[in-house]
Amino acid sequence: MTSNGFPSSPVRAIDRRRFLFATATGLLAAGTDVRSAAAATDDDLAFANFGLASSYLLADYYGRALQTGRLGAAARPTLRRGRSASTLQARALTDLLIGAGDTPATADDFAFEWPAAALATAAATRRTGLTVLDAVRGAYQTASATLGESSYRMLFASLAASVAEQAGALALPGTGVEPFPTALDLEAASAALEAYLG
Amino acid sequence: MRNRLTLLLVALLIGVTAVAGASARSTSTPPLTIYAAASLTEVFRAFDGAQTYNFAGSNALETQIRNGAPADIFASAAPLNTQRLFRAGLVDKPVTFTANRLALIVPKSNPAGIRSIYDLRSKPVKLVVAAPAVPVGGYTLTVLKKMGLSSVLGKVVSRESDVKAVTGKVALGQADAGFVYVTDARPVSDQVTVVRIPAWAQPRVRYEIAVVSRSTNKTAAQAWINAIMSARGQTALRNAGFLPVPKSST
Repeated sequence: MTSNGFPSSPVRAIDRRRFLFATATGLLAAGTDVRSAAAATDDDLAFANFGLASSYLLADYYGRALQTGRLGAAARPTLRRGRSASTLQARALTDLLIGAGDTPATADDFAFEWPAAALATAAATRRTGLTVLDAVRGAYQTASATLGESSYRMLFASLAASVAEQAGALALPGTGVEPFPTALDLEAASAALEAYLG
Repeated sequence: MRNRLTLLLVALLIGVTAVAGASARSTSTPPLTIYAAASLTEVFRAFDGAQTYNFAGSNALETQIRNGAPADIFASAAPLNTQRLFRAGLVDKPVTFTANRLALIVPKSNPAGIRSIYDLRSKPVKLVVAAPAVPVGGYTLTVLKKMGLSSVLGKVVSRESDVKAVTGKVALGQADAGFVYVTDARPVSDQVTVVRIPAWAQPRVRYEIAVVSRSTNKTAAQAWINAIMSARGQTALRNAGFLPVPKSST
């Protein structure tokens, strides 16, 4: 462990980075199949719209965490990979929504709000990231278990895995974050992110 | 004595000339006729009370301009209406001048006990919305679709011709809930409670404004548009709860 609590083992760190990247890239590759799924229901699209906003929110979080440098130099590769994964996930969800005939939001449609205390210290930065990741992961778990369209279920299962891995990279003992949280419906997940989504 | 009389005459002459000049100015610049979305009622009147306004649903105003109504400026709550008129050559090139958000409002007494937009699905409610052709009506459909709540449209008891009619019905307790712009809830904040719609489900609400092509006062109309685009105009809009022009629209 480094002083910031990030794994000092290069092998472990590289594996995590590869996983984050591979999962997100895999999503894009899988996008073709998902796009061809014509029968998206309202619920499918609701999770996709929530996921798209959450991906932009996470990319913004990683960008700000990089900017403040509160998590130290050891965390920078993890934060960069997290940002990259979030951007790729936003792209995959944008494609999915376009394929379903919807008009996806862009990052410019949001004015994210980070309370001053949210990124004030290393511990607060980590806690904020985990709070967001936790809500997003909870929603994706529900989506991967309940949506009617199988390609959407697979997509959200991949997204849940990626987000879980990002949480694993950020999490530390003593943060109070459950390693395997319960699934959240969209209302609960949305309420958890309300303070940041603007 | 003669000098004093001369001075008095000069002063009188200057006074008469000044009054005549002011009168000539007021007759040479009649008020502009501004057709604007109903949601702009309070902010436009407060920004400039000297003009003549016609506030209504943007779709109705578009039809009136198409039929030759004598408007100088058209301010729409959706780009669709201004862009259609632009393509038909009936308005000059429109510009985006502000943005807005949707909200769900319930009467202060909240007889249906609505605390979240998801309650619309689970509780028996009388819901009022604007007609789909009205911008706020179209935006309402977008919100419900984005949230997977289109089924609540089965609870709609009335479809109104503009956002003020929706606001009025909820404020008077004739409906349990209605979808309006956040700026419409402000003037009736003592009568309604706002239930937030999450940012991820918000539609892209953009307002556009344009000079009407057949206006006989295009210079003054363009000056008025410049004024609403200026720092003073944008401050007035922000103070009324409108959002700044989004980066993607500039």
